[in-house]
Amino acid sequence: MEKLTFDRHTSAQFNAELEGARKHLMEMGGLVEQQIDVAFRSLMSVDTDLAAKAIKMDKDVNKMELMIDKETTHILAKRNPAASDLRFIISVTKTVNDLERMGDEAAKIAKQAIELSDSGSGPQGFVELRHIGEKVRQMVHMSLDAFARLDADAALSVMHQDEAVDLEYGTAIRTLVTKMMEDPRTISRALNVMWALRSLERIGDHARNVAESVIYLVKGKDVRHKKLDKITEQLKKLD
Amino acid sequence: MVKNKMSSIEQTFEGWKSTVGEPLLAQQDTRISTRNVDVFYADKQAIFGVDLDIGKNEVLAMIGPSGCGKSTFLRTLNRMNDTIDTCKVQGDILLDGENIYNKGMDVVSLRARVGIVFQKPNPFPKSIYDNVAYGPRIHGLVSRRAEMDELVETALRKASIWDEVKDRLDQPATGLSGGQQQRLCIARTIAVSPEVILMDEPCSALDPIATARIEELIDELSNNYTIAIVTHSMQQAARVSQRTAYFHLGRLIEVGTTDKIFTAPDHRLTEDYITGRFG
Repeated sequence: MEKLTFDRHTSAQFNAELEGARKHLMEMGGLVEQQIDVAFRSLMSVDTDLAAKAIKMDKDVNKMELMIDKETTHILAKRNPAASDLRFIISVTKTVNDLERMGDEAAKIAKQAIELSDSGSGPQGFVELRHIGEKVRQMVHMSLDAFARLDADAALSVMHQDEAVDLEYGTAIRTLVTKMMEDPRTISRALNVMWALRSLERIGDHARNVAESVIYLVKGKDVRHKKLDKITEQLKKLD
Repeated sequence: MVKNKMSSIEQTFEGWKSTVGEPLLAQQDTRISTRNVDVFYADKQAIFGVDLDIGKNEVLAMIGPSGCGKSTFLRTLNRMNDTIDTCKVQGDILLDGENIYNKGMDVVSLRARVGIVFQKPNPFPKSIYDNVAYGPRIHGLVSRRAEMDELVETALRKASIWDEVKDRLDQPATGLSGGQQQRLCIARTIAVSPEVILMDEPCSALDPIATARIEELIDELSNNYTIAIVTHSMQQAARVSQRTAYFHLGRLIEVGTTDKIFTAPDHRLTEDYITGRFG
């Protein structure tokens, strides 16, 4: 399949509509990245002001979701998009959904920060949290970057990272359970951390979904619910 | 300027070797086979080496920009091009394994086996009944009036127009609406029990409701007939066909399942055409 472009339609208006949807998706992606960053920092520093900011940002994310959905619905109704244009619209619609869910998870992380603050404690000592947080933020960034550059290889790399994050998540949960058994006084704090970890892991899953949408857009292959080695093999055949 | 344009067209086909996708089918599934078909109008070549199979009970859509050769190709399938003196067809076109350009081939019976429906409905200036009865009469398919009545009714029913015309069979066909006339023409084609129905932009003169009825009819007819349809409406191709063939400047560029062609075509030219991009 040759390199995709979205600016060569006979209808300049159609070009503008697709570009508008693409631009707004990238803006929404940027906003969600920022929200995750604020939420994560609020958790690590138990900063309720930052947490409140992250929760407030969710409203802006939701507004962008509605706006982009409206744009894609209009394009579907008016333009009957086909082939790469159709895949683009489908991918945008799915990615918008994933970004909105990432925003929800970021707000949940901020809520855990507030709860930790209320109980007068912090997530100190849980090194796994910082590590997984960094990885997940990187995944979100890479998946959006892959969308912007229509880069299926980068998208595949995000999918690999998600597998690694899932493994680390399992290990972190086991460590937390052990700590709770050893010292029941940590239970309340550990539960907050567990919920935050769970949200981070979910954000990673959504980044993986975005990556899958990118591969569908660029390569025309639906790679959902498939093993990574099979996907890699399938994509190699296309090149 | 014109010269530059020509050279860019030539560049498009620099290195073009063969059709992308799956133009050929298993022999037992095939109704029509074309191999290395070239068509010339005088010394101008309009079709270049087309290899394509059309399956039994399949609707194949042929799409492409004006002048790409899709109608020319369609018309080679029942030797409609014979009526053009300067037109020359080379290569093999097999209907159920038999070359239709063989010397011994009876063109009149060929056109009964491979019927055609044109862009503009063209009923004969006769009654509705006689329009349908005309083919069976000249082919001597039935001798008794009662049998003919039954055949006319069956054909009109299959073309989904019986209920609208059953009370006025003796009235002139030209009094019907455009959509009704087109369905009458389809009934006329069906009346001689064809194996294949060719359709050359059958809905381009019809409104959306009449178009929807014809498309519904195509779907029903595909249970019993092989249908090859040329259309300028990509949405129509997407709606009615199981396979789609894309023609460009006389070449068959890509053939694939309609799902594949409209979601992820392999050739850049196909992609550009169906997404409305300029070359």
